[in-house]
Amino acid sequence: MPKREDIKKVLIVGSGPIVIGQACEFDYSGTQACKALMNEGLEVILVNSNPATIMTDPEIATRVYVEPLKVEFLEKIIAKEKPDALIPTLGGQTALNLALELHQKGVLQKHRVQLLGADPQVIRAAEDREEFRGILDKVGAKYAKSEMVRTFEQGLLAAEKLGFPLILRPNYTLGGGGGGVAYSIDEYKRMIAQALHESPTSECLVEESILGWKEFELEVMRDRAGTFVVVCTIENFDPCGVHTGDSITVAPQQTLSDREYQSMRDEACKILNEVGVQTGGANIQFATHPQTGERVVIEMNPRVSRSSALASKATGFPIAKIAALLAVGYTLDEIKNDITKVTPSCYEPALDYIVTKIPRFAFEKFPGAKDLLTTQMKSVGEVMGIGRTLQESLMKAVQALEFHPEGFPEIKAQTEKISYPNSQRLFHLYQAVRDGKSLQELQDLTQIHPYFLEKLFDVVAVENEVKASKQLSADLLLKAKRHGMSDALIGRLCGQTSKGIRVSREAQNIFPSYQQVDTCAGEFASQTPYFYSTYWSKISAPAQFKSPMMVIGSGPNRIGQGIEFDYGCVRGVKALQRKGHQVIMINSNPETVSTDYDTSDILFFEPLTTEHVGEVLRWSKAQGFVAQLGGQTPISLAHELVAQGYQLVGSSLKAIDLAEDRGLFTKICQELDFKIPKAAMVHSFEQASQKVLEIGYPVICRPSYVLGGRRMEVIENIKELQSYFERHAEAISAERPCLMDQFLENALEVDVDLVRGQDWVVIGGIVEHIEAAGVHSGDSMGVLPPQRLKDATCERIEELSGKLADKLGILGHLNLQLAIKNDEIFILEANPRSSRSVPFVSKATGIPLVDLGVEAALGTLAKVLKPQRFQWRNSPAVSVKGVVFPFRKFPEADSLLGPEMKSTGESMGIGRDYPEALMKALLSSHVKFPSKGEVFFSLRDKDKSELLALAKDLIKMGYSVSGTRGTASFFAENGIQAMALRKVHEGRPHCVDRIRDGHVAFVVNTAKGRMSIDASFDIRRACTDLGIPCITESDAAEAFLLALTHSRSGVSEVNPLRPTEPM
Amino acid sequence: MSSKSTGYLVLETGEIYSGVWHGSGGIDRAGEVVFNTSHSGYEEIATDPSYFSQIVMMTAPMQGNYGVDSSFWESRKIWIEGFVCLQVSQSERDHAWIQRLSENQVPLLSEVDTRQITLRLRSGGTPWGAVISAKSEAEALQKAKALIAERRKIEMDWAWLASRKEKEVRPGKKSNGPRIGVLDFGAKENIFRELEARCSELVIFPSRASVSEIMSANVDGLMLTNGPGDPGDVQVAPGTVRELIGVKPIFGICMGHQILGIALGGKTYKMKFGHRGSNHPIKDTLLQQVYMTSQNHGYAVEPSSLPSHTKVTHTNLNDGTVAGFYSEAKNCLGIQYHPESHPGPHDASGLFDFFVNNMIGKGKA
Repeated sequence: MPKREDIKKVLIVGSGPIVIGQACEFDYSGTQACKALMNEGLEVILVNSNPATIMTDPEIATRVYVEPLKVEFLEKIIAKEKPDALIPTLGGQTALNLALELHQKGVLQKHRVQLLGADPQVIRAAEDREEFRGILDKVGAKYAKSEMVRTFEQGLLAAEKLGFPLILRPNYTLGGGGGGVAYSIDEYKRMIAQALHESPTSECLVEESILGWKEFELEVMRDRAGTFVVVCTIENFDPCGVHTGDSITVAPQQTLSDREYQSMRDEACKILNEVGVQTGGANIQFATHPQTGERVVIEMNPRVSRSSALASKATGFPIAKIAALLAVGYTLDEIKNDITKVTPSCYEPALDYIVTKIPRFAFEKFPGAKDLLTTQMKSVGEVMGIGRTLQESLMKAVQALEFHPEGFPEIKAQTEKISYPNSQRLFHLYQAVRDGKSLQELQDLTQIHPYFLEKLFDVVAVENEVKASKQLSADLLLKAKRHGMSDALIGRLCGQTSKGIRVSREAQNIFPSYQQVDTCAGEFASQTPYFYSTYWSKISAPAQFKSPMMVIGSGPNRIGQGIEFDYGCVRGVKALQRKGHQVIMINSNPETVSTDYDTSDILFFEPLTTEHVGEVLRWSKAQGFVAQLGGQTPISLAHELVAQGYQLVGSSLKAIDLAEDRGLFTKICQELDFKIPKAAMVHSFEQASQKVLEIGYPVICRPSYVLGGRRMEVIENIKELQSYFERHAEAISAERPCLMDQFLENALEVDVDLVRGQDWVVIGGIVEHIEAAGVHSGDSMGVLPPQRLKDATCERIEELSGKLADKLGILGHLNLQLAIKNDEIFILEANPRSSRSVPFVSKATGIPLVDLGVEAALGTLAKVLKPQRFQWRNSPAVSVKGVVFPFRKFPEADSLLGPEMKSTGESMGIGRDYPEALMKALLSSHVKFPSKGEVFFSLRDKDKSELLALAKDLIKMGYSVSGTRGTASFFAENGIQAMALRKVHEGRPHCVDRIRDGHVAFVVNTAKGRMSIDASFDIRRACTDLGIPCITESDAAEAFLLALTHSRSGVSEVNPLRPTEPM
Repeated sequence: MSSKSTGYLVLETGEIYSGVWHGSGGIDRAGEVVFNTSHSGYEEIATDPSYFSQIVMMTAPMQGNYGVDSSFWESRKIWIEGFVCLQVSQSERDHAWIQRLSENQVPLLSEVDTRQITLRLRSGGTPWGAVISAKSEAEALQKAKALIAERRKIEMDWAWLASRKEKEVRPGKKSNGPRIGVLDFGAKENIFRELEARCSELVIFPSRASVSEIMSANVDGLMLTNGPGDPGDVQVAPGTVRELIGVKPIFGICMGHQILGIALGGKTYKMKFGHRGSNHPIKDTLLQQVYMTSQNHGYAVEPSSLPSHTKVTHTNLNDGTVAGFYSEAKNCLGIQYHPESHPGPHDASGLFDFFVNNMIGKGKA
């Protein structure tokens, strides 16, 4: 069955800003699908509100709309573009839900748009748990006993019937949002209320526990002729009870016999057919009892997913691409296998290696959040390790997490960190094995299948051999390497350095071999250069290296280093290719576009450590490596790689050091006209209390060598200073001092992204932060062009930034964070690399910053490049960057913004003017604009008069106003009628009761000082739980009002992104 | 646990691969060296008589993961001459697979660079080889040469060697189903299970059974089973089948398919490295589906050699080779792969229904 002729133009919906449970895997799948459909000659219209994606680059689709993923905007786009069909299966749960809504509101029918891949029936069947259970009954599949609950009272009855522990699974939420495991009635009451709230349909499935069962996932595909394939089987290392996104997983499945597996496969096929999936990819999760083998179905997703991205990377089978082609009418036997080029796509990959995925968490970013894993996903990223054995792949994955070069450093094992699933469990488990705990003990504590635990014992046994050996023999060294142990770990065990082990490997000719991921376990010749390393072979696959250039990726997503850097890497690879280079991509993150086998010329799936990157540079004889695109990860590898003799391309080590070394950097800034906040390095409270007298409060404190503002706090007085040193004692020492900077209160902050070549500078743009200084740049909203900064100041910023780049000797990217106070320009930070804001700036201005960065790194001169072509002020539109936070996933965390970054993703609003752009950015960040109701204010003193006008405007617009007693009486004195509410400590009913009762439309809450912050925590938490806007900053409140006013006007347009300036 | 020492896989073409030898004492073995790409099913594979005289190397790196289970056995014994893999479960808790092979005197070689061997077999075909316990490469090469030469002297009709030698009657589970005769070339147990579910009685004959023996059993249809070796070396059966074509509905699987092809006047040939795995895509124009199949064969039927009334109805989509043919006129069906699976997907089990309902059903009507 060939391509359908009735479909010429398709609409693809992305998944919006990165949130926990829905991350850059959808950039990967969307990009792949767009490319495949464009190749087929179709017109592709893409909508996504997330600027940090490759898929929203204007080159990827026929037209790209960066607009809110909301029905009213989609309808406008559909009316304008008149697509024949919409593919809703590539943009996660967001796209599926949106498609369903478009259908329910009649928009698709009205404009005659077909749904391809999944129709409303299928979406409902898979997502509505009751309907899904009906389907399971029909095909004879079992599921855990459960009750569908719609009210709190029903919930109590269900608990009585099923008994504890209970698993809560709210309907239609992503990443198991609002779900969890309840062990007691108290816990359950709190959780069921939240779950019903989180579900858009106010439904929650309450299920008997299958904790401790083995968990499996099948990634499957089906075409319209009914051909069914299992692309990949995945087994969870962590038994049931931990969300699969938070579990360590292994592919292919390891502990099922063929008979058990085939029966699972048959059931998956029946379910898929009964749900009615006509074409595309899906995933189905099963649990099996470890002793009896009894099997139940957990759930299915009729779309590409996080695990389908993992499956694609693990097998070489491009699920999203094939899903897109199936959607437009092809069948699996008509599509060639991209990797072998000779066999068809209707096959099930055979693996001759093992893949391990380990999630990466960010609990440390959310003080107060409990590090416990449940059925609600909490991880922010993941790594994948490929090895010939489970041991090798697991150890590689652990190194890829980038916590420690040893992978498993010595720690103090704690039993409760083993018995309760948590982000550190693997490390404590491994340590417990080292400490001599028995297999039985560990199995009792964790219920992890002994097959997996044995592999840890196996590696530790080799550790012990290494430790016991007087002289590390070649055989033993090879054995250790085959067990995946890093040079650093082996070195520590036998009293040598990592370098010592490397030298000894070299002397004994022990090198990794590189093997292909070929989809077929070597059965057919494959041309695709997608490699992983292993010590289990002496001979590497043939590869044709033509003095390649390496781009080092950004590793697992984490808060502070996410998809923005993958964007840079992918764009950088393409730019290098255009300049005639063969390009190697190396990365460990399976969710990304960069690790798609057809992004670069040669792909290495390897941990980003000096050892693994160095070995690839050695084998490939690369002419150099680019370290400025993948964020801080490659920058931190650069020194050692250069020391090993490899060539750094772009800004030299010297330039990097000048920018990163505070002392040297301060000197340079002083030579220019930059101001630098007063600062001191201190390592004790005593010292700090002295130095602070010179600097003056408020100060901002952070331990040196931190990423994304970890442990960074604004300190207002001596009491807080003392508390800071007490709370962060373990991170501050004489060797690792604390930086204490003058805090520029009420300053305006900006990001500058520029590229410098040998004799040119292009300013990419100046992004003005909407929140005042003090909020981490990754967490503040931003606008381009600046709205409050004077033109003259902008010009001075451009001039000074260019001069600074010259002075540092930057070749490529430089990102500056500046604060402007009383027209004075302070420099806060300089990053000698591509930054988080680069994709946003590129899309706002049309300037291909990454491409320019590559030109600069390669030494292109001004006369060839003609840099004056790129003028960031030329853009007629206003662009606002919005941010998205994961507070809902961390019930104990505070949503107050500060110098520590907490956001997971960003959105972009493009408008004719500032209010429209603001409104779109906020909508895209899931902020709802209430059209009427009560606005509650709780303000610190200095904001009261500032926000008076705002309160007056709100009353004019028809909102009512309430406030804490202090705020309300201030308002009353100034002629605003405001209802006075009690603060929480003043007794009930208090303001939080009023919020939780649903009387409040939104909240403006500014707090100063730790005391008042702690006191107002409950207010912010209530807003987070109820999903009502809570504005914690006066500048943000003013911006919110602008957006709110605009949203009430009801006017807004949708426009495609303008094309990028050609190079 | 069994003892461990150095062992080698030696190919008759001279390549030698070292590994860890698991076994009690030195029982060196020789056979054709083949690879299988299935992720699971080691015990089914080892007990499949089609692997007679073969050393099986698994491309999936971790073996023995889920222990052993006698109910997985596809025949009464382990047929393989050796089991080669990268890693095998050998913990205190679970080393059952090592033990089972050892008890059956089948050598197991682990920690072998299986991917290199796969690439070698893929590009150079599947030679004979030997799994040898030795102290040095030189010793292994020498022992292997002698052993291979010796083993090569065995009887050529492997189907006869793998076949039962006495007729056996088994009750079926469907009292109103047909009676089916089976010509055993080294049958997998699951062919019997699939048939038993659909028939009233099974009459199983040795591979060299005569036409009159089969005719006297008064069966409604004849199943030709899988089996090891070169179909060209099989004695008696091609002639027997030739006489029964058109007389009884005939369904041949694997070796049975090849014998049926020869009986129809067709030719078979040895493939470079064959098909062994659980992921082979088949286009089935009889059931009108594309599906995944379990495969294990080193020979194939030459399509141009088949008579005109016989159509190629099943094609292997990986390489376009003949995966099945059907003659409506003669009411016979040959299937190169394994609809009985074990190991592998069950997608093709509908062919047993086709045999019983369409082919035998038609014969009765």
